[in-house]
Amino acid sequence: MNHRFEVMASPMTTTASQRVIRRLKALKAYATLIPIRLLPVEFLVSNARLIKLFSTTFDVGEVSVKRYRLSQKVVCGLMATVMIMPVLHADERLLPVRMDELVAAGFAGQQPAPLADDAEFLRRIWLDLAGRIPTSDDTRHFLDDTDPDKRSRMIEQLLAAPTYAQRMQELFHVVLMERRGDHEKWKQYLHNAFERNKPWDQMVREVLNPDPQDENRRGAAFFYAKRIEANGQNPIDHPGLTRDVGRLFLGADLQCAQCHDHLFIDDYKQRDFQGLYSVYLNLSAKNGPDIPAVTEKPMKKKLEFISVFDPTQNETGPRIPFGSEIPIPEQGKDAAPVSMLALLASELPTAQTALFRKNIANRLWFLMMGRGLVHPLDLHHSDNPPSHPELLDLLASEIVAHQYDIKWMLRQLALSQTYQRSSRYPIASANADSAAASMNVEQVRPQSYLLANEKRMMAEQLLHSTLRATGNFERLQQATVDGKPNAELTELTRRFVAAFANEPREPEDQINPSVKGALFSLNDDLVLQLLSRRSGNLIDRLLAMTSDELLADELYLSVFTRRPNNEERNELVAWLTKHNDRREKAIANWAWSMLTSMEFVVNH
Amino acid sequence: MLGAAAAGGLGLGTFLQPCVADELAKNDKQVLLIWLDGGMSQLESWDPKPNTEFGGPFRAIPTSVPGIHVCELLKHTAKQMHHLAVLRSVCTQDNSHSAGVARINRGDPKNRGVEYPYLGSAVAKLLGPTSSGMPPYIWIKPNSGGFKASDAGFLGAKYGALALGDGKPPENLLLNKSISSEEDELRNELRRKFNDRYAVGRRTEWTDANSYVYELAQKLMKRDDLFDESSFTDKDRQRYGTHELGRHLLLARRTLETGVRFVKVNSYHWDSHGDNFNASESLISQFDQPFAALIEDLHQRSMLDNVLVIVMSEFGRTPKINSHVGRDHWPEAWSIAMAGAGIRKGVVVGKTNDQGTFVEDKPYDIGHLFHTWFKAMGVPPDKMEYDNQGQPLPVAHDDCGPIAELLV
Repeated sequence: MNHRFEVMASPMTTTASQRVIRRLKALKAYATLIPIRLLPVEFLVSNARLIKLFSTTFDVGEVSVKRYRLSQKVVCGLMATVMIMPVLHADERLLPVRMDELVAAGFAGQQPAPLADDAEFLRRIWLDLAGRIPTSDDTRHFLDDTDPDKRSRMIEQLLAAPTYAQRMQELFHVVLMERRGDHEKWKQYLHNAFERNKPWDQMVREVLNPDPQDENRRGAAFFYAKRIEANGQNPIDHPGLTRDVGRLFLGADLQCAQCHDHLFIDDYKQRDFQGLYSVYLNLSAKNGPDIPAVTEKPMKKKLEFISVFDPTQNETGPRIPFGSEIPIPEQGKDAAPVSMLALLASELPTAQTALFRKNIANRLWFLMMGRGLVHPLDLHHSDNPPSHPELLDLLASEIVAHQYDIKWMLRQLALSQTYQRSSRYPIASANADSAAASMNVEQVRPQSYLLANEKRMMAEQLLHSTLRATGNFERLQQATVDGKPNAELTELTRRFVAAFANEPREPEDQINPSVKGALFSLNDDLVLQLLSRRSGNLIDRLLAMTSDELLADELYLSVFTRRPNNEERNELVAWLTKHNDRREKAIANWAWSMLTSMEFVVNH
Repeated sequence: MLGAAAAGGLGLGTFLQPCVADELAKNDKQVLLIWLDGGMSQLESWDPKPNTEFGGPFRAIPTSVPGIHVCELLKHTAKQMHHLAVLRSVCTQDNSHSAGVARINRGDPKNRGVEYPYLGSAVAKLLGPTSSGMPPYIWIKPNSGGFKASDAGFLGAKYGALALGDGKPPENLLLNKSISSEEDELRNELRRKFNDRYAVGRRTEWTDANSYVYELAQKLMKRDDLFDESSFTDKDRQRYGTHELGRHLLLARRTLETGVRFVKVNSYHWDSHGDNFNASESLISQFDQPFAALIEDLHQRSMLDNVLVIVMSEFGRTPKINSHVGRDHWPEAWSIAMAGAGIRKGVVVGKTNDQGTFVEDKPYDIGHLFHTWFKAMGVPPDKMEYDNQGQPLPVAHDDCGPIAELLV
C-alpha cells in the first residue's frame, strides 16, 4: 500500500523546525515517524528529485506532493528544512501506528510497559539488525545525542550497514537449515540475497527451484541437497524435506498428514502432504566437490497413497498444500522434460497462497517481537488461530503490497511502539508496590505484548557480542596472511555453537539455558582468555583508566550497553579497592559475571 | 546455596493446590529406569511358558517367592523376586521401533499436537532435583554423551538429560585452572546479584531457568568423583560384571547414591528377529547378573524404599517363532518389571493365556503404568498438570489410572 504525503519544504530556522516538531508530537507519536531532515538545497531543484529522494531514502512508497512552497530563487545558497507530513486517512496511516493500535486493542485494560529507554532500545536494535551489541563509543554517542529522531536514524543506519546482510545470513541460515550444517556457497547465496535486499518470494523461488547454471543462485540448492543427502543405511529423507517446505514456507507442519489426514488438525489433509511429496520423490542430491546441487527425474504419473486408517486407494499429482491439484504436463519425447520444481516455484511463493504471505509476516514479526502472532510458528491452522488475526492479515497484505521487501517490513516493525516498549515494568519505589507489580508481571502472557518479550541470543550473536564487549572483535576479524579466517575465531565459533545452539533439526525459537552452556561459560579456557589483558582489549583499556568511576562507566557501556547507576558504580569501586592487590583479576572476574548474567545473554 | 530455591521455583509443575507443592518439596524419591532398547522376550524372562507351542527351550525356575516362576535365564534375579513386582498383562499400541521408542517413553498420552517429555524429563520437571541439588536427570548410555535435550519435548531443553557417554564426564566439568575456588565463589556471587537485579520488573521465567542450570553445573563440578570408575571395589566389579551393562548399572548405583533424582541406563540391540534363543541367553544373562546385584545393594543400603526401579522395553516379542528361529515385535502381551518405592514386593500382576499370545484378564497400557509410577513416587497425577505456555496438559493419559495391585 502506498501512503500519500503532503510535502512542505521551506527554508526554516532550526528553532522554527523544532517548534513544528513539537506541534507534530502533540498529534501523538507520529512525529517520530516523520523524517525531518536538513538538506542541501541542490536536492530541492525539482519536485521529481525531491520525490525520488524521499521514496528511496525513507522508502515510504509513492509520495504525492501537495504543497511545495519553494522556489529555486528563494533557497539558493541556503539549507532547507524539509518536512513530509503523512496525510492521516483512516486506512492510510503509517503501518507501525496501525500495528500498535491492533496490539493495544488486546490489552484488555492492562497497562503496557513504557517505551524502553535509549540504552535498552539501542542494545535491542543492534542485536536484531546487526547481530551484535554496539561498542562503548557507539553507545556513548547515541545516549548523548539529543536529536529527537535518533531512534529512526539508528534504524536506518543499521539497515544500511554491511552488518545487516551478515546478520540476516546467519539468522536465515539457522531458520532454514536448523543446524544441519553449512556450506560456503549457501552462505554466499544468503549474504548476497540480503545485501541486495532480494524480495522474499524471489528467494523462495530460487530455493524451491535452484539453478545450477547461475553463479549467484546455485548455492540455494543447499536447502534441498543437505536434506536429501545419503545418511548411512537410512532411506533418503524425502518426507522430511516435504515437511520442512510446509513448515518453513507455509507455517504448516504436515508431518502427521504423511500417513493419514491429521487427526487433530482438520485443515491438514493427507493429500496436502502427498501432493508436495510427489514432487520431491523425484529429487536426488547430486553434490559436486564444491557445489550443492540436485537433479530431478521427470514426473510421469500420479502418486498413489492410502491412509493407515482407510484402505481406499487414493492418488494425487503435484499439489501446493491447501491448493488444488496441478495436472501433470505432457512430457514430450523430444522436448526437454517439464520441471516440477519450476512449477512448484512458480505456484507456491505467491500472494495467492495465503499461508505463504502469512508465514513470512508471522516469522518477521516473531524475529522482532519474540513471539509469533501464530505460535508455534509452524502450526498455522484454524484451531490454532493467531493471537491478533487482523494484525496478521494487515502485515501479510502489506508485505505483498511492498513486493515482499524484508528490509521494509523490519523497518516498520522496528518503528512501532510495540517493538520499542521496555521489557520490564518500572521499578516501584515502595516495597509493597513493587511486590504488587511483580505479581502482575508473572501473569503477563507473551502474546499480549504488554512488555517487550525477551529473545534468545543465537550462538553467533552471543559470540559476536562477547568479542565486542571484551574488545577482541577487531583482532579476531582480521584474516590470516593466507586469507583464511583467524584460527582462534574458527575455534571459538565451533565452541559457541556446540555450547549454545540447539540440536540439529530443532528450531531455535525460545531461550534455552542449559547445563552444557553453563559449564562452558564457567570453565572454557578460550572464553576466559578473552578476559586476560591484551593490547587494546577491554581489560587493557580499563587498566589504563585514570579513575575507578571512569572505569565503571567504560565497563558497563562495553558489556551492558548502558551506564552504571550510582549503586553499581559504588559497588564496583568498593570491589576494586578491596581487591587492589590483584586488580586485573578483579576486573576480569567482575566482567565475567556481567558476561554470564541474564542482562548480557538475553536480547531484552 | 540456591539449590533448594531453584527446586522450589522451577522443578515443580503447576499445582492446583498449593499444599501439594509443599509436600513435593520434601519428596526425595528417586527413579532408576533400565531401558532395554528394542524388546526383551517376555517368554525368556518374566513370563515363561515352558512346554507349550511357543515356549521355547528354556525352563521356568522357582523364585524367592513361593509360586512365582521366571525363566531360568533370570537365575540371579529369581533370588531377588521378593523385592520385585512384575506386570504380565502389558498391552501397548505400537510394534515399530521408530514410533515405539518415543511412544513408550512418553507414556503414550493423548495426542494434543505437542511433544510430551520422556519419563526422566517429566520427573525432572515435576519433582526437580532432590535435596542433594544434583542434576535431576542423568542418562548412562553407551557411546557418546553430552546434553540430550530431545527427551524433554515441550518442557524445554533444561529438563533434558545429562548423558554420560560410556560413563565419562561431560565437557568443561572441571574448574578452569586459572580460577581458584575462592574466586569461583566470588564471581558466581556477583553473577547471581546481577541476575537478581535484572529480574526486577520482569517475568522471572528465564532468569529462574538460567539460575537453575548454573546451580546444577556447579553441583556437578563438585561431584567429579562420580566419574572415577577406579574407586569401585573388585568385588563390586565381579558381582556386576565387566561388560557394558554391568559397568553402567554399577555407575547407576553410585549416581543414585549421590542423590540424582532420575537415572536412566540404556542397553541396545534387544532385537532378536533371528536366533532368538541364543541371543536371549546372551543378552538376558548380561542383564540378570548386574540387575540382581543392584536390587540386592539398594536393599542392603536401605535405598530400595526410596528408589523406584523400572525395567522396560519398546514392546515384547512374538510368541510365534519365525522361520529364522527369531521372535518379532509384539506389543499385545508382554511384561514390565519394577521394584522399590511405593511398589508392592514379591507380586505378579496380570496374566497372559496359556500360549502367551494375549492378555487374559485386564490389559494395561503404558498410560496406566505412568499413572502407577507417578503415584508410587508420590506425585498425584489428578492434582497436577503441565502448563505449556498457557495450555494445560495432564501429566499422563487422561483415560488411564494407576494399577492398584502394583501399589503398596
